[in-house]
Amino acid sequence: MPATTTPCFEDVAPGDALPPLVKGPLRTAHLMRWSAAMENWHRIHYDRDFAIGHDRLPDILVNGSFKQQFIVQCLKDWAGPRGWLWKVSYQFRGMDVVDEVLTVQGHVAATRRAADYGLVEVEFGILNRAGKDNTPGRATIALPYRGGPAVPYPFVPPRD
Amino acid sequence: MSMLPEGVAAYIGVSTDHEFAPEAVEPGAVRRFAQAIMDDDPAYWRDDEASARHGGPVAPPLFPTAMFRRPFGTPDPFAAFAEDPDHDGAGTVATLGLPEILPFRGYNVLAGGSEVEFLRYARWGEKVRVRSSYADIEAKQTSKGPLFLIHILSEFTTAEGELLMRVRRTSLRRPV
Repeated sequence: MPATTTPCFEDVAPGDALPPLVKGPLRTAHLMRWSAAMENWHRIHYDRDFAIGHDRLPDILVNGSFKQQFIVQCLKDWAGPRGWLWKVSYQFRGMDVVDEVLTVQGHVAATRRAADYGLVEVEFGILNRAGKDNTPGRATIALPYRGGPAVPYPFVPPRD
Repeated sequence: MSMLPEGVAAYIGVSTDHEFAPEAVEPGAVRRFAQAIMDDDPAYWRDDEASARHGGPVAPPLFPTAMFRRPFGTPDPFAAFAEDPDHDGAGTVATLGLPEILPFRGYNVLAGGSEVEFLRYARWGEKVRVRSSYADIEAKQTSKGPLFLIHILSEFTTAEGELLMRVRRTSLRRPV
């Protein structure tokens, strides 16, 4: 469940860790359910013989489109009901395969003030069980000032 | 000299019109999507204080990228599975209205990454449309041979033109 509270900008500092989000073990059934939800029938995500024999992959791959959902969930849950996940970017630099446990971990890299809310730069990654981060990225999250209004919704990007 | 296969460069700059998803944001599709990503956020299903900020229940943030499914009356891509036991199914991945880059047919397809900007989430019942373009296609030489990076820009809006999000996605192609 997402957090029901939003941190105030003043309570956040570089180095602070976000609550990690753990998913898995991700079995073939999880990947099949995701493929069905997306209507994505690319066989490398559910057909082991094809993934290994045809595409020469190490095993069935966890979809990049699946992993990005975990990133967004972790970040928007931290932003809470009065903050806003404004921007997020990530790269799929390596493969994560079926049966993996993935943990989204992030920390505050920098903060800056805008007119109506504060902006928090977050660096994050998705660690697998071996501790390897195959999906590094950055995000910008808007948080309200203490005693101030919630971040506007729909979101209004800062002018400065 | 370009490392791009012949005919690929012509796709750079190709864009779509504003295309509507075949269905509006359906609660059933939202439920299946949210359950697949294992995110039971009450904003996705409760029409109370949990979704009040949004004006009612919404879809998960990236849901609009999954809305552009094959409409009725179009060719069934599953016919290719029946005809070719080696068919990879990669062509069934949503292209958001863009034409398949034919010179890459049969290449391995992998996700490279994305940059996303969110303005708001799509509510239950809203119609969503997208405009996409092939912003660039690059070639890189790697230790495993050539790798091609396709950069796709997509802008998702409501039927009224309200911006939901912008996505810059990189899709990778590698010869088998």
